[in-house]
Amino acid sequence: MAELSPRARLALGIQLAVGRLLAPLWVPLSAALMRGAMGWRVEGVEQTRAEYRRIRDASREPLLVCANHLTMVDSALVAWALGSPAWYLMHPAALPWNLPDRENFASTWWARAVVYVMKCLPIPRGGDRGEVSSVLARVGWLLRRGEAALVFPEGGRSRSGRVEQDSRTYGVGRILGEVPGCRVLCVYLRGERQASWSRMPARGDRFRARLALLEPKSVASGLRRSLDLSRQVLARLAALEEEHFRDRG
Amino acid sequence: MQESEVFQRVVKIISPFAKNQAALAGVSPGTHILDELKVNSARLVDVVLAFEDEFGIEIADEDVDEVNTVGDAVRLIRSKLG
Repeated sequence: MAELSPRARLALGIQLAVGRLLAPLWVPLSAALMRGAMGWRVEGVEQTRAEYRRIRDASREPLLVCANHLTMVDSALVAWALGSPAWYLMHPAALPWNLPDRENFASTWWARAVVYVMKCLPIPRGGDRGEVSSVLARVGWLLRRGEAALVFPEGGRSRSGRVEQDSRTYGVGRILGEVPGCRVLCVYLRGERQASWSRMPARGDRFRARLALLEPKSVASGLRRSLDLSRQVLARLAALEEEHFRDRG
Repeated sequence: MQESEVFQRVVKIISPFAKNQAALAGVSPGTHILDELKVNSARLVDVVLAFEDEFGIEIADEDVDEVNTVGDAVRLIRSKLG
C-alpha cells in the first residue's frame, strides 16, 4: 500500500477538522432525515449502540467496521445504528469514515463538497488501481489514528440480496494486512422489507442489526493473504445473515 | 525465460477472462487489460493468482496496482522470475 505523503496527511487532517467543525449540523440532520423523513427505525438500537461503545472502549487497537451492502444509504444506516448523533458529537472518531463509489456520490462539485464534509473518501470502484491504493492507504492512516472506518467487503451492493461470500474483492484484506492489530467489527443490517438490493430502503422500514467482533489472521502472504482475510470477514457476515433469517423465522 | 514466451503464457491466462475477443485477437504489450480486453476488475485477482500458479511466483497486492497493460504483467512476472 502506498505510503501517505505529508501533503496527503495534511489534506486528511484538514478534512477531519472541517468534518468535525460542521458535525453539529450534518450529523443530527442525517439522523433526522432517516428517522423523521424516511420513518426508519432500528430495533434494539440502544443495545446495538451499547455494544459498539463497549467494543470501542475495550481496546485502543484500530477498528474497521465491515458491513453487508444492500442499499445506497447503508453507510448512513450503519453509522446511525452504532451511535446516536449526540454521542458522535462527543466521540467524533467513532463515527466511521466511508468509501462511497465516486461515480455515484462524487460526480458533481456539490456532491463532492457534501461527502467531503461527511467523512467520505470517494473511491473509483473498478477503476485505476493506483487511485484505489491511494484511498486504501488513507483509510489505513486514519485507522492508525483511532478513527473508525466503514467498508463493504463485497465491493458493491449484493445483487443476490445475500452476502456474496465468493466475492473476489480483497480491499478489506489489504487494509487489514497494512494495519497491525486491526480489529474488525462485522455489522449485518437489514430492513424487514428489504427483499433484495435496491437504491433506498422502503419508507418506514424497520431494521435489525447484528454485530460480531473478529480478529482475522492468515498464514498466507501477498495477494492470497489479502484474499484470505477478506474471505474470513465475508464468512462472518454470512454467518450473521444466517442468524438474522433464523431468528426472523 | 524469454519475454515472448512470458507474453504468450500471460495472454493464454487472460483469454478466458477477456470479454472483448476482438481486442484479444490483436493483443500487444500495450493492450490495457481492463479497458480494452474488458476483463472485469473483480476478476483481475483471479488473473493474478493464475500468474502466480503458472510461473511459481508470489505477487504482492501493491504490485497488482502496477498491472494495467499486458506488457506491465509481463514485466512484473519477469522481474519476479529474476
